[in-house]
Amino acid sequence: MSNTASLNTKKLLHTPSPHLFSKRSSAWIMQQVLIALLFPAVAATYFFGWRVLLMIAIGIISSVGFEYAYQKLRGLNITIYDYSAAVTGMLIGLSLPVTAPLWSIIVGSAFAILIVKQLPGGIGRNAFNPAVAARVMLKVFFTPWITNWVTPEPDVVSTATPLEYVGHFSRTVPDEVPGLWDLFIGTGLGGNVGETSKLAILIGLIYLVVRGIINIKIPLLYILTVAVITSIYGDYSFTYMMTHVLSGTLFFGATYMATDYSSGALTPDGKTVFAIGCGVLTAVIRIVFNFPGGVGFAILIMNGLAPLIDKYLAPRIYGHRKRPAQEHQL
Amino acid sequence: MLLQLMKKREGAYTVERKRRTEHKPTEEASVPEYLIYPLSMHIGAPAKPVVEKGDYVKIGTLIAEKEGFISANVYASVSGQVKEISDQPTMNGKGPCIVIKNDYQDVYEAPLFNEGEELSVDQKKSLIEQAGVVGMGGATFPTSVKLSPPPEKSIDTLIINGAECEPYSTSDHRLMVEYAKQLIEGIRVLHEVLPVTKTYIAIESNVHESVAVMKAAIEDVDHIEIKELETIYPQGSEKNLIKNLTGREVPPGGLPADVHTLVTNVATTFAIYEAVRLGRPLTKRITTVTGEPIKEPKNLWVRIGTPIQHLIEECQGFQLKTGKMIHGGPMMGKPLTSGQVPITKGSSVITFLEKEEAVRSERTPCIQCAECLHVCPVSLQPILISNAYENGDIDQAEKLGAMDCIDCGNCSYICPSKIPLLDNIRSAKSEIKARKEDN
Repeated sequence: MSNTASLNTKKLLHTPSPHLFSKRSSAWIMQQVLIALLFPAVAATYFFGWRVLLMIAIGIISSVGFEYAYQKLRGLNITIYDYSAAVTGMLIGLSLPVTAPLWSIIVGSAFAILIVKQLPGGIGRNAFNPAVAARVMLKVFFTPWITNWVTPEPDVVSTATPLEYVGHFSRTVPDEVPGLWDLFIGTGLGGNVGETSKLAILIGLIYLVVRGIINIKIPLLYILTVAVITSIYGDYSFTYMMTHVLSGTLFFGATYMATDYSSGALTPDGKTVFAIGCGVLTAVIRIVFNFPGGVGFAILIMNGLAPLIDKYLAPRIYGHRKRPAQEHQL
Repeated sequence: MLLQLMKKREGAYTVERKRRTEHKPTEEASVPEYLIYPLSMHIGAPAKPVVEKGDYVKIGTLIAEKEGFISANVYASVSGQVKEISDQPTMNGKGPCIVIKNDYQDVYEAPLFNEGEELSVDQKKSLIEQAGVVGMGGATFPTSVKLSPPPEKSIDTLIINGAECEPYSTSDHRLMVEYAKQLIEGIRVLHEVLPVTKTYIAIESNVHESVAVMKAAIEDVDHIEIKELETIYPQGSEKNLIKNLTGREVPPGGLPADVHTLVTNVATTFAIYEAVRLGRPLTKRITTVTGEPIKEPKNLWVRIGTPIQHLIEECQGFQLKTGKMIHGGPMMGKPLTSGQVPITKGSSVITFLEKEEAVRSERTPCIQCAECLHVCPVSLQPILISNAYENGDIDQAEKLGAMDCIDCGNCSYICPSKIPLLDNIRSAKSEIKARKEDN
């Protein structure tokens, strides 16, 4: 018999079940998110030009760099190879208008990685989505530089955003607002570079769902909730509702930000409430305040509420009548 | 479709590895010179030897007697001589065993009842008990105990479990394909001894052949329904089968009888048929010997007591280096370190894995992906129990339902950060048990 034919019992592993492990790793999951972000990145480059690639590169390099430096200085395990910092950097790069100064991307990355992600303990421990927190911080503290609504025409011009027309108690869609098809494809639109083409985001969304990276219920319920509320508020005007659905950060946020593992809800029912909550807050902020960035605020508020939601919506265990009473501790 | 996607899965789509043995008809395995019978090849009290060194035994001679209510008889599966009663390696570590030297004469003991004898319900139940029938899907719980529940827990629903959800196992599948008639007869026996009004035969939809054969076999039998179930692990777990088929949930710490249900594995049903229709005690079973390292994987009719080493030779040895030898499947099986461990009543599959696939990669921080919650068949939050255990908070682990864990292994399997979730939950469980015993 050949060498392999005999059983060398001394070399057999003796670890308890299960004996097989899924091939997915955290790094693989983050790679999938990066791949899914390529679709809006390509669309953004097509609409806004090569500067987009520079923005993404600076986002990734600075985020990964800050994570590496922080962990090196504090003598922690280096986790940049799990690609999560790269995801944050790419999100930040895609979250700003094409005119945003490049230093604002670095400031955003520093805030996201150092304050929001690493301070609470690094990957999996951040209560808030680093990229969302960074963009909201930039909007709050660094407006005029970065919130100008810029169209991708030869001479970039600042105009009002479609949301300013349909938000703030407006119930109709004025003619100045781009048509639904343009809003969907992203042609002639301004705004944050990654958010313009809903088509590209939709492809990224489908990719993430097919790969089993995100739960489709989060983006679906989020967008549906906004659709339902704006539809009711706009007297069931299809154009009004769809303008809301296809404008601003909704698609981008629902696909890439509300689905963030760490800052979202953990429990199945918690995810449902989280997504609907994001939708309600987004719609309310848009309708009531004349304020850009409703999606960012909505997601951050729900991030803050997620532990509480999980605490009350822990799944009912098989055979038990009630959900387990517990403290949510992570 | 969308709703389906949004639903909690309560299971994992583990790799499916039945292909190498799925279409291989069962073969009679050759019989070794020495056979080893652990006194504890069932859940409950070990059986008590009723033979002594030097005694002559036949196939079907009682060699160890059940002791107490939850226990089971053990029979010789060859004719020959009792060589010794001593500690031998078993799947649960070293334990007392009867070793018999085969004389290769294959002399049979008389059946458990005389041919043509009319059997009463109690006699039939007693035959199942006498024959040493236990749950042959791996749990090895004595079947007779399940057949005699207290009156307020009378059985109205019977589930024949052919949902063989462990990735490599095909022994139940082959039994259904090749012995459908006998299985139906076994179900008839159960109908004769229990006030059952509804019977389900549960089969995973990936094994089309057994679904087709069983469908044809039940055509002229009333009250039986074939339930084709999604191929998802652990579809065949007793608790999940009951919930999926009847909507009932077994209460915490309870038994299927608490919800008026009896679940028996197909191999057990076959053993019931043999006991009550033919008067044969349980002395052999089908065992799948498989896994990539095995050169010629097979579905074998094996005499109980046959050492695994003998079956490896029966399958032409190995073509690749083995990293792990498992009694059972890769999700719930027990790791073995000796080829001398014998096939027992619950040995539905012996799986061999290459080293690379059996090694867990390095642990990384939890990313809160919630996959472990998603795949838990009893809706636990494995990561939270694991965290509670690692923080030394056993109270919290208990509140989170550690004791409800059914050990299926899905959480550890799916975790992208390779956190030893099930190991931690098991440790939490034993600490909770230890504390209860202290009080």
